[in-house]
Parts: sequence; structure tokens; C-alpha cells
Amino acid sequence: MAKAESEYKLFQGCTIGNRIPFIEASARKVFDKLGIKTSEAPFACCPDPVGFNSVDHTSWLAMGARNLTIAEQENKDIVSLCNGCFQTLKAVNHELKHDEHEKQKINDILKTVKREFKGSINVKHFVEVLHDIGVDKIKEHVKNDFSGLKVACHTGCHYNRPSEIMQTDDPMEPKKLRELVAAVGATPVDYEEEMLCCGAGVGNAEEAPSMQVLANKFNSAIEAGADVFVVVCPACFQQMDTNQKKAGQQSNKTFNIPILYLTELFALAFGENPDDLGLKYHRSRLTSFLEKYGFK
Amino acid sequence: MVKVDYEFRKKIMDAHIIDTLKYCYQCNRCTDVCPIANIAPDRYDPRSLILNSFLGFKSTIFSNEDNFFIWGCTVCDTCDEVCPQKIELTEVFTVLKNMSIAEGKGPEYYTTQATAIYESGKAIPSQPAIERRREQLSLPQVEPPSVEEVQKILNQTKLNKIINK
Repeated sequence: MAKAESEYKLFQGCTIGNRIPFIEASARKVFDKLGIKTSEAPFACCPDPVGFNSVDHTSWLAMGARNLTIAEQENKDIVSLCNGCFQTLKAVNHELKHDEHEKQKINDILKTVKREFKGSINVKHFVEVLHDIGVDKIKEHVKNDFSGLKVACHTGCHYNRPSEIMQTDDPMEPKKLRELVAAVGATPVDYEEEMLCCGAGVGNAEEAPSMQVLANKFNSAIEAGADVFVVVCPACFQQMDTNQKKAGQQSNKTFNIPILYLTELFALAFGENPDDLGLKYHRSRLTSFLEKYGFK
Repeated sequence: MVKVDYEFRKKIMDAHIIDTLKYCYQCNRCTDVCPIANIAPDRYDPRSLILNSFLGFKSTIFSNEDNFFIWGCTVCDTCDEVCPQKIELTEVFTVLKNMSIAEGKGPEYYTTQATAIYESGKAIPSQPAIERRREQLSLPQVEPPSVEEVQKILNQTKLNKIINK
């Protein structure tokens, strides 16, 4: 667990920082409330473990290592708001710490920009950081209780796999997100496809299979009685928030289910106003959910 | 007759981060849990992809006209988790994808994204509209990365050649 006075370097990633910054707004408000300190750094793209790593593994390692050296210079751990950035930075850190040959190769590349990877810091997912704070402490801040809200938890793939490297949670039955959702009074539902991918990755190659996977995910959660999804990855968020119509067309259904980032659920529970969180920028409507819980 | 490509086979065998025995006995657990094999079984099958990779049958893999045979993988890492032999399948598939890109056969998305990273340091470059939105939400500016450093690194790794920059 991080020391109380310690500060993280915040890694919001390209998607949250430059496309859906309202997620970052909720995360910062929740961190402030819970006393989690962060600071900025001129990080480049993590880079994307699905996209960029598929193009060239060595370039992916070198760019990931460069980001790590920026945090190493300040001797601070990184907290990631995104599954993809988290997996890249943690996996690059792991690979270079455990493979002397690969580390040498990458450091030879980094020499051209006068950097050296040392392997002296750690990378954390924000779910781990919140979970480390403790459910009891989180409960102390709850002003709006979400009792009765049935939540389909979706951790996404890169939060906890490959487990030998990530070491975040149980690889096929993650518990931390469920416990955090329960901390604000909501009820995580059991649904068969909880561990199913959102389908974003394959969508880079072809849309139809991506929408089919998403529809299977939605159907399973809705059948289990879920009112909303709670997610912890911006790629999953975008896939699920923006593609409900397409996924519906693919499977002859109409999907209309709110997608919330965990930090948005927490911020609302802690008494934040939906307008200050930029919830109007969600594509799938939150109106009836917000009205039901007394938000205007 | 299928030819064994030994150089290709060595690349595949070297792909593991955590070194384990690389014996696949074709139990099919990877394909059982694969969300893509589940909905497109005729087009994507991790079990056969691993078989052909470990045997060094490069031409069998790359002569398939449908590149979904390689690119169907959604990188969910589920197969890695269930493999009884702890084969890091996703690492092997990354080698195949890198080779497919080098041959100019990858989906356009991938090189487009790599180009954005090469040119701006970010997969999604900063835009004025989003910067304004960040301001409205009382968020600090995203500190821009050094594009010069990024390009020096990516010229070293020869990514510039891969994406023709």
C-alpha cells in the first residue's frame, strides 16, 4: 500500500486525456476526496497494447520504457486510469526487469535520447489504489447511497490478464471492482458473460464480430437484471457507450443501458453534481438513472 | 508439401516473456474460451494458429487470403490464462501480427494509429475542441510529450520504415 504522503504520477492516457476527459474529471474529484495525490508528466502514448504492440513489439517496449523513465526520474509510482496503459506500462516494466538481454537492447535505443530504464518504480491500476484505501474508508464519504442499483461489473481484459504479470486480482473472477461497487450501496449482479471481452480489440480489424461480442455481453447482463454497467477502462467505455445501436442491429435488439465509469459512480455517491462531471457527454442516456437516484 | 521455416519457428519460440516449456498438446482449451472463435469458428482458431506457428509452417499461416485468420484475435488474453501448458499465446500472436504488418497486410487501423504516435507522440492527438472541454471541466492541460524524443526512438527501432515515414 502506498504511503499516505506519497504522490503518484497520473497516467490518464490518450483516450481519456484527449477524447473523453470527463472521465478524468470524475477520477480527480474522487482522488481529492480520498486524499490520493497525483501530479502531471509529459508522457507520450503508453503505447496501446492492442494497436501499437501489434505493429512492432520492440517499438512498443522502447516507448513504454521511455514513459517509465519519466516517473523513475521523480521516483514516483504511476497510477493509470486506463486498462490499456496499465497493461502496457506494467508488462513493459515486468519484461525489462526480468530479461537482462531485452533491457540492454532497449537501453541502447534509449541512449539516443539520454535515458536509461532502471526498473525502480511500480505501476498501479486506479482500482487497486481505491481498493487499497479500503471499503470502510470509502463508505465514510458516501452521501448518496445507491441501494437497489443492480450493477453489471465489467473489469475488461487488461485489468487483470495475463495474471502472472498483472497480479491485480483473480484472473477469471475479479473481486475488487465488485467490492468497490458494493461500497457505495449498489449490488453487483452475477451474469454469465462477466469475463467476456467488450469486443473493442477485434473492432480494429472488423466491425461485425466486434458488435456481436458486445451484443452477447449486453444480453447476458440485461437478462441478469442489470440496470447499469460499471467499467474501469476507456476503451471498454467507448465501445459500450457509443455502439449500443450497432450492437442492437447486429442482434435484433434495442439496447439502452447506462455505462458508468467507476469513478463517476463514486463521484455521484460522494455528492458531486452530474453537470460538473460532464455526464451529458455520455452517448447512452443517463437521465432515468439519475432521476431515480434524485439527481437533477 | 508444407515447408518448415526454421527462422520463423525460432522467432515464435522466443516470443515468451515467462519462459516455460512450449509443448502444445492441442487440447483446444484456447479455442473453447476464445470469444472470436466462438462467433466466427470458420475464420479464427487459436489452436490451429498455435499448431502451425510451433511447427514453423509460416507459409500455411501467411498464405491464408483472409487476414482475419491472424487479426481476429481481440487480445483479451483469456487463452493465456486457461492454457494448461502456460503457453503465452497472445505473445505468439503478436509476433504473427508484427510480421503481417511488415508485409503490408495488416488492417489499416494499426498503421494509422502508429503514424499518429510517430507524428504527435499520442495515439489520439490533442484537439482544440477537447482542450476547451478540459477547461470547462476545470482540468489541467495535458502536458505534451517531446515529439523529437519519440521520433528519435522510433527511428532507432525502424518504425519509420514500417509506416513509410
